[in-house]
Amino acid sequence: MAETGRLTRTPVAAPLVSPVTLLRIAIILALLAAWEFLAHSGWLYRDVVPSLMSIGHALAELLMSADYYFHLSVTAAEIGMALSIGGALGLTVGILLGANRFLSKAFESYLYYLGPTPKIIFFPIMIMWFGVGPESKIALGTLSCFFPVALNVAAGMRQIDKVLIRVGESFRANSWQMVVKIYLPAMRHPIINGIRLGLGVALIGTLLAETKLSNKGIGFLIIQAYSIFDMPRMYAMLIVLFVLAIGANALVGRFGGLHDIKRL
Amino acid sequence: MAAQNTSLDDAILVADDIGVRFETAEGPVIAVDDVSFKVKPGEFLSVIGPSGCGKSTLFNVIGGLLSHHQGVVSVAGETINGPHKSIGMVFQEESTFPWRTVVDNVAFPLELIGMPKAKRIERARHFIALVGLDGFENRYPGELSGGMRQRVSLARTLASEPKILLMDEPFAALDEQTRLLLGDKVLQIQQQLKQTTLLITHNITEAVQMSDRILVMTYRPGKVKRIVDIDLPRPRTSEVVTSEPFGRYVAKIWADLREEASRGMRDEEKHALQHHGAAS
Repeated sequence: MAETGRLTRTPVAAPLVSPVTLLRIAIILALLAAWEFLAHSGWLYRDVVPSLMSIGHALAELLMSADYYFHLSVTAAEIGMALSIGGALGLTVGILLGANRFLSKAFESYLYYLGPTPKIIFFPIMIMWFGVGPESKIALGTLSCFFPVALNVAAGMRQIDKVLIRVGESFRANSWQMVVKIYLPAMRHPIINGIRLGLGVALIGTLLAETKLSNKGIGFLIIQAYSIFDMPRMYAMLIVLFVLAIGANALVGRFGGLHDIKRL
Repeated sequence: MAAQNTSLDDAILVADDIGVRFETAEGPVIAVDDVSFKVKPGEFLSVIGPSGCGKSTLFNVIGGLLSHHQGVVSVAGETINGPHKSIGMVFQEESTFPWRTVVDNVAFPLELIGMPKAKRIERARHFIALVGLDGFENRYPGELSGGMRQRVSLARTLASEPKILLMDEPFAALDEQTRLLLGDKVLQIQQQLKQTTLLITHNITEAVQMSDRILVMTYRPGKVKRIVDIDLPRPRTSEVVTSEPFGRYVAKIWADLREEASRGMRDEEKHALQHHGAAS
């Protein structure tokens, strides 16, 4: 009887936080402690590793300044534009390549070569074409996110279950209906995946461009903080960016419509 | 063996001298050769043959999904040229749309012709009930079993109200019990709707259980070997399989098929040997 009692009680007595979560928390705490220790050790050059207190202070200051939100909105708008333009172009090109074997044979290898090339090498050209303002950042972000979207969509198009296409044909769907009601929904996972990857590289491309040459945006602020060696402020901005990137990624994942994931 | 000259009868579907050849790496293969038959309104005709007899090719020709073929398929006197609105296809493979609920899957063909939403949902519900899936309208295919998903496909095709229901081994991927029960369902619906049906299958029991006539095909090239009239009483259910005449029909068709199937088997073995020889 005592045995049974213990058995049934065990799940109830399970810890509120799982061992994995505990370990994660422990690692973060250890890292923070190590950071703080380094900050006070005096082994490194002044402020390379600023104390947590000063970073926290800078973070609070940052979040309360209207100026910061202006720069944040500039960067967000650039990334948003880059993702929309690059995503739409990538989707169109991906569908064309996925649907047409001839086009795919002729052009897709270029995309594979250009895809992994760091797009920042085109930044001087973008500045000449679009100037130092947000336009050149949008151009670079667009260029960055075009490739993963196009390649993912092209591959996704080829992976569509052929029988679903035959179903559409047997019900005499026209070309538009085939695209909207069969191809696009059947490709929703590769499309979302492409956009997620595209968002990542658009973020990198835009911010990298801002740190190179610009007059507004988060990249500009970061490099400004760096140039006057305001390390706490720089770290504070990195933290905000990090959190925003995670949030954006989660948001894109939400659009995936994962209720039918069981069949995949 | 061209079309028998009976052009004035009441056939709804006529296949006249159908031939299909494919170009392969080892030269042309004649998949279907000189196949002619007629289906009368309300009739249940099965096409049976060993694997490799071009059954599925024939399915695609009649469905209008394969254009490079010889001969003519006509529906109510009209030659088909691509998928025809009077022919509704049910595929062998899993073919529900995983991103649509059951009701939206079934309403798909109605959506394509622009039927208003309220009306098409109502119609879809009717056909969902017909295949016995009421209560599952708002589930996704991923939440259903294979047999249920195949019923969704059937309901979707029935919702387009085809004059001819064309099915390619719709139960091939299912287990035997589910297959028998689903066969019952199809029989019941077919008898209720007086649905003209053309079933492609390799399953003798299934063919005899459901058909008015069975067309037996030869192994490659697929030709008409024999057409057998199945004179069993209707309405039928799966219980018919235990009857004595049923057994005789099965034996008769198996005698025909056995010859073809073993020819196919020998041919495949020879093929495998040749390939193996070439590879080593």
